[in-house]
Amino acid sequence: MKLIEAARVIRSKNAGPTLLTVDLMFNEPAGFERALAAPALAPAAIAKLYGLDAAQVVVIPYQPALAVKIVMDRKLVAGDPGDRDVYGAQQHGPLLSIEI
Amino acid sequence: MSAIDRLREELASRDGTLKPLRVLAASGQLGYGIPAAALAEGLERAPHFIGCDMGSIDPGPYYLGSGNLATSDAMTRNDLAQVLRAARSIGVPLMLGTAGTAGAAPHLDKTLTMVREIARDEGLHFRLASIRADMPRDVIKRAIAAGRVTPLGAIPALAERDVDAATHIVGQMGIEAFQRAMHAGADVVIAGRACDTAVFAAIPAMLGYPPGPTMHMSKIVECCSLCTTPGGRDALLGTLDGDGFIIDSMNPQRHATPMSVAAHSLYEQGDPYRVIEPEGMLDTEQARYESLDEHRCRVSGARWQPATRYTVKLEGATLVGERAVLLAGCGDPKAIAAMKEILPAVEKTVRDLVANSVRGPFQLHHRVYGVDGVFAWPAPPETLPREVFVMVECIAATAEDAKSVATVFKQYLLHHGFPGRTSTGGNLAFPFTPPEVVCGPAYRFNIYHVMEVDELEPLFPVTLEAL
Repeated sequence: MKLIEAARVIRSKNAGPTLLTVDLMFNEPAGFERALAAPALAPAAIAKLYGLDAAQVVVIPYQPALAVKIVMDRKLVAGDPGDRDVYGAQQHGPLLSIEI
Repeated sequence: MSAIDRLREELASRDGTLKPLRVLAASGQLGYGIPAAALAEGLERAPHFIGCDMGSIDPGPYYLGSGNLATSDAMTRNDLAQVLRAARSIGVPLMLGTAGTAGAAPHLDKTLTMVREIARDEGLHFRLASIRADMPRDVIKRAIAAGRVTPLGAIPALAERDVDAATHIVGQMGIEAFQRAMHAGADVVIAGRACDTAVFAAIPAMLGYPPGPTMHMSKIVECCSLCTTPGGRDALLGTLDGDGFIIDSMNPQRHATPMSVAAHSLYEQGDPYRVIEPEGMLDTEQARYESLDEHRCRVSGARWQPATRYTVKLEGATLVGERAVLLAGCGDPKAIAAMKEILPAVEKTVRDLVANSVRGPFQLHHRVYGVDGVFAWPAPPETLPREVFVMVECIAATAEDAKSVATVFKQYLLHHGFPGRTSTGGNLAFPFTPPEVVCGPAYRFNIYHVMEVDELEPLFPVTLEAL
């Protein structure tokens, strides 16, 4: 199953200018559990998609909202010359096609 | 009697407990317009004070660096007038944090000037407290030398030269500074850079409401009705009662559900369970979210852990240069396919051509929207788009230099010959001319660090004036 089919929300945003976070929210506990178990959502796999080291990615389950938060280092501080997305609100693209 | 003493009297019960305290969050970002119906509904609920947030680090380094507001003067003035009128009409305190987008001296001063003008024009009288958040450079340098400054994220350690290079450096104040302003007798508090929670938590914490729910409520209400479904910008009422609080949107169409409120803890946070503030840490691991009815949600169970050492988040921005951009479209499949090779080739040509007229260093960044403008994809898509948008950004020592480079780039990108080219009239579609636009100074964040301090008070001075 593709992540986009299971998730209600797939969004990205800065958490301060040095961190990017991606929130995945699910309608059903089943989707939430499935995402948590998916190898494609392990830190090393996400790091590969974003060109980072595995140690730069943290995956945090957040049961109260049936959500998974992914936190990673920004390659460029928000707004630095060469940045593509000051707010980080459109950095979720690589996750749209992954399988869970 | 001061505003805070009035609240103390009003909220005390005979049995020593505290009555429910109502907080109206009027705006999550003042200056973009305040939905009037929800604000009016909020006033009907007789809130004990009104809070609004006016800034953030999110819009990027330009505002902190330049001292300019992100919002227009007219809209900002209108919003300020609305919340001042609202608070004065029911005689309750108004708390406003991160004045003027970034909360440094020029932002705070522009906001204060507007507040004074509004008070004069509308005949409003109140005691105004302003709180500065500009961090003294010598204090930061001493903290660096003492090993008390740590980077927030994957950025270098702070050096003295960064402190000198920043045009403005602010620290995020916590509840302590707002409380000092209220102690001093303020009716209206306009603060420089502040934690968004402090705007809403200072008064309840001062009156003795439990710190866990107080901080948790503050974290949620600061974005107004963003925590509801569907989310929006309408005013939001938070009511602290006993061990928890109730979230109630002032727009009847926006419902606070356990899911929508819990989900808000994720928003723009690195850790959904823990929020670090200058005076301690909010821990929501044990929080419970319950539906009161289809419109309101009650939250309880958050805990507060006081800090053993005070910390202040530092933010600073420094000038990089002057920016100009070239804006153009392209609809030729061969040019689109070759764009990845064309842009560096044109850059090389341009660098050679301007060498004698543009003496200072400059940097160029190109983006091909439709291919990899938004995200730095490692490879182009399997099928290339029918059209792309090309943006070439130049940052140079002077605006004239940046414009020169963008202008030459325009001409050579337009007429660049490449193998197989068939569209020999020009490679670009300009939506208007001149397609090169001078954008003004470019800044970057060069400080995003946390500093340990012994005392918060000297860093955030309060000034009181009677209007």
